[in-house]
Amino acid sequence: MIQISDVTFSYEDAPSPALSHVSLEIRDGEMIAVVGHNGSGKSTLAKCLNGLLLPTEGTVSVNGMLTSDESSLLSIRQHVGIVFQNPDNQLVTTIVEEDVAFGPENLGIPSDEIRKRVDSSLAEVGMSSYALHSSSTLSGGQKQRIAIAGMLAMQPDVLVLDEATAMLDPQGHREVIDIVERLHREKGITIVMITQHMEETIGCDRIVVMGGGQIRMQGTPREIFRRGSELQDLGLDVPETVWLRNTLTSGGMHLEGDPLTIEETAEAICRSFLKK
Amino acid sequence: MGTKITLGQYLPGNTVIHKLDPRTKIILMIAFIVVIFLVKRIPVFLIPALYIVGTLLLAKIPVRYMASSLKPIRWLLLIMFVLNLFLTDGDTVLLQFWIVRITKESLRQAVFITLRLLLLVAGTSLLTLTTSPIELTDGLERLMSPLSVLKFPAHEIAMMMTIALRFIPTLMEEVDRIQKAQMSRGIDFSSGGLISRLKNMIPILVPLFVSSFRRADELAVAMESRCYHGSEGRTRLHQLKMQRNDYLAFAAMALIAAATVIFSRILGGAI
Repeated sequence: MIQISDVTFSYEDAPSPALSHVSLEIRDGEMIAVVGHNGSGKSTLAKCLNGLLLPTEGTVSVNGMLTSDESSLLSIRQHVGIVFQNPDNQLVTTIVEEDVAFGPENLGIPSDEIRKRVDSSLAEVGMSSYALHSSSTLSGGQKQRIAIAGMLAMQPDVLVLDEATAMLDPQGHREVIDIVERLHREKGITIVMITQHMEETIGCDRIVVMGGGQIRMQGTPREIFRRGSELQDLGLDVPETVWLRNTLTSGGMHLEGDPLTIEETAEAICRSFLKK
Repeated sequence: MGTKITLGQYLPGNTVIHKLDPRTKIILMIAFIVVIFLVKRIPVFLIPALYIVGTLLLAKIPVRYMASSLKPIRWLLLIMFVLNLFLTDGDTVLLQFWIVRITKESLRQAVFITLRLLLLVAGTSLLTLTTSPIELTDGLERLMSPLSVLKFPAHEIAMMMTIALRFIPTLMEEVDRIQKAQMSRGIDFSSGGLISRLKNMIPILVPLFVSSFRRADELAVAMESRCYHGSEGRTRLHQLKMQRNDYLAFAAMALIAAATVIFSRILGGAI
């Protein structure tokens, strides 16, 4: 569990704080999306989660350990893995399997255990056959999958994706999201997805909307998407399916239930036609 | 500028030589350099030459590969030969006209120096031909690690080499991208004199530097969040282990060194 209590963070020389008085609790096994426009403070929040940035005021605690306590930083970073935006700037070594091993090596895990973890992590992201490849020959999506495998090899409880799909093509985007959703479903890993893509948030348990360094809204996707105009004020859009539903209903069509995914929306539209 | 570059001249393979511990290969290379300097008589150069041929055969490296690695030094070899031929003093004159004076001693010296240089380069390129840059870094780190007692940053140097190797293809791509972007803004890279071409490099180098610093920053953050905290308490996925073949290789090198010394003695005052 990650407990963020009244956190304020200011970058040096910045006129206003990047985060001001943010409090948030991320529960075990949750899949949570943090959305916000550029400069809303969402990436700063991500870096506070594993002690890369230390709050100017307030505290962040991971499983009861404070990020301000330097002696528990390694343990915190092992529990909270972050995948960053640029796939090229987070792989450390040339060979795929050596990169996946980088985290466990730093943790001082014995070689044969590292071997096991590397193999299972690569299998988890479907990249086993690339173990001995050079990472420079891979696509962006594949590099991000390697980065995820690198985190999995540290056996984290929480996986933070800091706009990890922002630089990927649609195919790579899909691959990464599928893997993340599966990890959440099958291994119960807590997922914190920092994103601008509203489509990615549909499957989440909870959405946290940030703006100007503060949490503006919070709730289930259905609750958040009902407040479309407020989202637009924060420079955000609702997912296409929600937009379609809103447009159809405002045009006089009656859609049953509260459809959210593409399948649900399609079904609701069909049912509405059948009734006529 | 192509983005596909091969690093060094490593020729992947699965032979006995390729499988040797990188540390062994580095030590053998140093030993080989010593052996070359132990050679005192020209015919004795046959011993290190045979060693090179033998290794090439074992590593299944085609001779033309070795030849291509020697090609860049052909002018250097020629200059060394000519300089030694004309500038070494001697008594037994073989040829003399105008200011040129070639003696038996100068000819011997020229051949000797040229052979020495040739074998040196050939011997050292055996290492880079059969060892991948990653193994090489790994081996160097382990070999230098005892020096860390003297505060020598062995791990840091190896980590820097690892990262440099990792980023070379990435930066090559970046150069390609910047170059195309600048070309589309009208910069002509292909014509003009030396000075204007050098000047044209500036619009490539400046963005490259700026982005490299940004990359370095992001990489540092990523490494930190993957628990990197220097060499302390760090383990490795691949552990280097000396095996029977490594000891065999050391023994072979010792024999070669001994043979070189003995034959240099036996031949005594001859050529």
